[in-house]
Amino acid sequence: MAAGVGEKIRRALLGAAAALLCLGLAAGAARALSDDIIRVGVLEEPKSLNLWLANDTWSQRVVDLIYEPLYVHGPKGQELVPWLAAGPPQFDAAQLAYTVKLRPAKWSDGSDLTAQDVVFTGKLIQDFQMPLHSSKWKFIKKVEALDKHTVRYWLQKPKAIFLSRTLLTPIVQKKQWEPIAKSAQGAQKPLQVLLRHKMDKPVGTGPFMLASWKRGVFVYLLRNPHFFGRNQTIAGYPLGPYIKGMILKVFGTADAAVLALRKGEIDYYWNSIQPGYIQQIKDDPEVKLFVNKKSAVYFLGFNLRKAPFNDVNFRRAVATLVSKEFIIQRILQGEAEVMHSLVPPGNEFYYNPQVPRYGDGLDWNQRVQTAYQILKKAGYTWQVPPVNASGEVVKGQGIRLPGGQPLAEFTILTPPADYDPHRAMSGQMIQEWLRAVGIPALSRPMSFGAMVQRIKDQRDFDCFVLGYAKLSLDPGYLRAFFHSAMDRPRGYNMSGYRNPDFDRLADESENAMDPAVRRQLIHKMQAMIMQDLPYVPLYNPLVVEGVRKNRFSGWVPSLGGIGNEWSFCVIKLVK
Amino acid sequence: MRKFILKRLLQVVVILFLILTILFVLFRLAPGDPVSRLVDPNLTPEEADHLIEQMGLKEPIWTQYLMYLKNFASGEFGYSFHYGEPVAKVIWERLPNTVMLFTTAVILAALVGISWGKIAAWKKGRFQDILLTIASLVTHTLFLPWLALLLVWVFAYHMEWFPITGMISDEIWLDPSSGFFGKLVDVAHHMVLPLATLFLIHFGSYLLVMRSSMLETLKEDYILLARAKGLSERAIRNQHAAPNAWLPVVTSVGLSLAFSINGGALTETVFSWPGIGREMVFAVSNNDYPLAQASFLLIAAVVLMANLVVDVLYAYLDPRIRY
Amino acid sequence: MSKLLKASPRLARRHPWQERLAEDWRVFRSSLLGKIGMALLLLFGLMAAGSYIPPLLDPMYHPMTGVDPLVLKSTPPSARHWLGTDFMGRDIFSQLLAGARVAFMVGVSAAFMAVVLGTAVGMTAGYMGRLTETILMRLADMIMVMPTLLIILLLAALFGKLNIWTIVLMIALFRWPGVSRVIRAQTLSLKQRPFIDAARVAGASHFRIIFRHIMPNVLPLAFLYMTFRVTAAIVIEAGLAFLGFGDPGTVSWGMMLQWVWKTGHMFTAPYWLLPPGICISLITLSFYMLGRAMDEVLDPRLREEGQRE
Repeated sequence: MAAGVGEKIRRALLGAAAALLCLGLAAGAARALSDDIIRVGVLEEPKSLNLWLANDTWSQRVVDLIYEPLYVHGPKGQELVPWLAAGPPQFDAAQLAYTVKLRPAKWSDGSDLTAQDVVFTGKLIQDFQMPLHSSKWKFIKKVEALDKHTVRYWLQKPKAIFLSRTLLTPIVQKKQWEPIAKSAQGAQKPLQVLLRHKMDKPVGTGPFMLASWKRGVFVYLLRNPHFFGRNQTIAGYPLGPYIKGMILKVFGTADAAVLALRKGEIDYYWNSIQPGYIQQIKDDPEVKLFVNKKSAVYFLGFNLRKAPFNDVNFRRAVATLVSKEFIIQRILQGEAEVMHSLVPPGNEFYYNPQVPRYGDGLDWNQRVQTAYQILKKAGYTWQVPPVNASGEVVKGQGIRLPGGQPLAEFTILTPPADYDPHRAMSGQMIQEWLRAVGIPALSRPMSFGAMVQRIKDQRDFDCFVLGYAKLSLDPGYLRAFFHSAMDRPRGYNMSGYRNPDFDRLADESENAMDPAVRRQLIHKMQAMIMQDLPYVPLYNPLVVEGVRKNRFSGWVPSLGGIGNEWSFCVIKLVK
Repeated sequence: MRKFILKRLLQVVVILFLILTILFVLFRLAPGDPVSRLVDPNLTPEEADHLIEQMGLKEPIWTQYLMYLKNFASGEFGYSFHYGEPVAKVIWERLPNTVMLFTTAVILAALVGISWGKIAAWKKGRFQDILLTIASLVTHTLFLPWLALLLVWVFAYHMEWFPITGMISDEIWLDPSSGFFGKLVDVAHHMVLPLATLFLIHFGSYLLVMRSSMLETLKEDYILLARAKGLSERAIRNQHAAPNAWLPVVTSVGLSLAFSINGGALTETVFSWPGIGREMVFAVSNNDYPLAQASFLLIAAVVLMANLVVDVLYAYLDPRIRY
Repeated sequence: MSKLLKASPRLARRHPWQERLAEDWRVFRSSLLGKIGMALLLLFGLMAAGSYIPPLLDPMYHPMTGVDPLVLKSTPPSARHWLGTDFMGRDIFSQLLAGARVAFMVGVSAAFMAVVLGTAVGMTAGYMGRLTETILMRLADMIMVMPTLLIILLLAALFGKLNIWTIVLMIALFRWPGVSRVIRAQTLSLKQRPFIDAARVAGASHFRIIFRHIMPNVLPLAFLYMTFRVTAAIVIEAGLAFLGFGDPGTVSWGMMLQWVWKTGHMFTAPYWLLPPGICISLITLSFYMLGRAMDEVLDPRLREEGQRE
């Protein structure tokens, strides 16, 4: 080997590297985009812009700006606002049919939105048994276009979710999707082909359309020139969009995104800011914080199919021992609200504040004493009771079931820290609290997929800490969580709660078309659940978001934060 | 020589096939499927079943296995559950980024390690030697993600010299006026910190190997001969001793590749570098089997091939070894 | 390969092994690297032992579940909390001490298992030869070149049991091949020695030959390898924990770093970011130095792979 050549190559390479490094240093100053394009920081990129596959948070945020439904929730929450529809649906009680008139609106390719598109979307969902959508279309007997702008739905039976969910289905363009659906239908696995279709240029009716997408780096959206809402006032908001476009920058780590916000590299960070940064941001005069409630619930669940969890007294004692305040103040650093029912308080219309509460406002000693009384009354005994003869709280040991057999160690399953550190940590704390009174709990993290399979499919578990980060505003989930019909593999009644009274209420609520009646029923269901306590609701995180004060104003706060369609349609450049 | 290479190649193929099968079995045994991650009360049990069936996960296990082998043989690797795109496409988008970061780091580290190792050996026991040895011991044993975080904290947060994460700035890539050169500079700018992390972790091991190998070489007769001939110290060092001392370094590059790949995944994760290592960590936590399988297989193939190349290179460089 | 400081003359191999160990210890003590490594290890040992004290003083010093009732967020060092508190108000110093215990536990137990396995496989392969050897060594080659962290990540996520002992076991299962390679080479050379033949002629079983005659002779080498495995095990566990795949019920240094990173304190709490990283790096360094010092004691030519992995 000739050393001379090696030496030269080495020098050349080192030189090149040094040069690149210097150049890199010089390139520090980034050129700005046009002023009226908002730069938004996101943590992850959308996984796909194929509407039917886009079921994760980050994809949904983008597709929601492109595709639109007939009705949307107003920024205040429950009320439904006609969006692509011209007015409220007309009910024909005799035929059990609804008629919806469409607004004159255009797709982003310039063609008209017609009733045919709406009908096509419904048929697509029904034909392909579209995941996440098909259940809200199953009871639709027929959907027809009466004329270019009128759609009529025939229902098999009255269903409350028709108004609150079916009419909120995003509409796709027949012109774009028909060929895709046709080619998929011929395939062996039609749904798979449809889901795998790569949507490069999604055509929608929304305020924005895709301009370009550089994988892993940014998604660039431009204002849709054909957006119907421009210069119209809907729900009291004069719609724009007044911005020319938006660029979603993918950061990957929250640190980078928060820093970019503080340095002014982004105008808005579309995610909840971690507690560690909040103090710094509060002191930053350039950044404004918005705190909003969320529609989510995190809870401790029991397996009611086995002892001791089949004993409501045991569940109540556990609920009394769990300090929600501790979890919220320390683990979530105050960025959450206490949950006493399974419907989030932010869902004002359906939330029932009058439900039984456990251990609310008690300190540790009171918790132990209360839980001890509950258990003692139910026949549980101890070798060393957690409350001694003189009424002092001590470390309990050797708890026995009412039947006299010792309580064997059981596990609390939690997701791992990489998936959700809060739940993993909450599980740890609950373990400690239970152990303090002698209940042998063991918190065990498990990879998320495995954990869900254990709980939902195999039902081989004791307790678990889980959560739903995005609950729909319609409380239909209560039925899914606790109806005995859902106590089957892949069903959402993970606890195995079976109560005929509850089933009756749940079925009734499902068919109640009158919101006021439904509300009554939902309230009763919440109270019943909190009485029987198959789940102990823990917390509901708050959404804390930051924007640059000197860039855009007019943000619309709503349940879930300021990153909603309303905001992006009305924010204006600060002059 | 040819026969040796062929034999080793065959071994590599057999091992890869084994890994492929083990991966298949592992992923089928594992609890949890891509649908179980989708915890949404709007997804009814019927829909979930239908989705599983459509994904081909209800076929008999042999059909699935054959399908799987067919996919790999055709270089397609199936479809990613998460992205709904061909795995090959996802990988090809990420791979160049990893290769770029990685090869630059390994080459830089090897070059610096070799030349400094040479110096350390030459000045054995003196100030330079002690300084270099200690420096490489310390940097080599630093905990990689921590070093990465530290570099970000100092050079990106406090000094603001470099971007915190990522590979390119959108502003430059969206601006039609920035040409190829501008983009190159932008990538280089983003690459400095991850590169520095990998470089710091790796150069020490090359330095130490080069140093000890050089010390062995310096004892050989031909060095004494060169000295006797009255050649300059520099010439002896660079032209006689160093080329022979390279061999162990070559081996150590091959052997440490697995270690480097671990480090690569950590580096990419901290810096959000859109590479294959980060993608694999991501795929693993998303239950995206096809993507995780393919990226792991790719990594295994690269490692095995690199070891083969090292062996061959070793044989080629060292005239004493003949196969 | 590497004689970092003074190399020492090798002693004859016929000594009974206890005596040889004593001699090795003498050589070892003369090495500066060994001394520094030893001193650092002692320090970490003290930390690990001391980790039992803080929770006894006050329940708020419990590393995992103890929180300061007066502190609701991460605070800088104070008299009450020498290294400050983490986001929940837990004492960072107590966590650091507990981390030392976990590092030793993970490192030493994983390394021990890996070395036992590697030695057994290496001796079997070297002694039996033929097909057994080929199969075992090909297997070793295959596992050796694989990125352990990624494999364990894959397995941990797949099977979902993120218990610290499972992690230890998995590290051991993937870190034996380097050991077995060296032990095999050593066994091969031992096999040619007259005393093995003598034993065989005397009618000793394979089992007896391996464990009575070969094992004592390869033990020092196995011990050397253990130090390198300890390093590897600690780094792998820390890496896993950092990525969030660790055991959340265990306070390890990697876990501490994950907490800093994931709770958004990286730029605001240097008192929290620095200590765990320094500790992981230093403990790795000390085992590494120890290994290199021991390396000088033993015959360096036997070493084919001494790099950290």
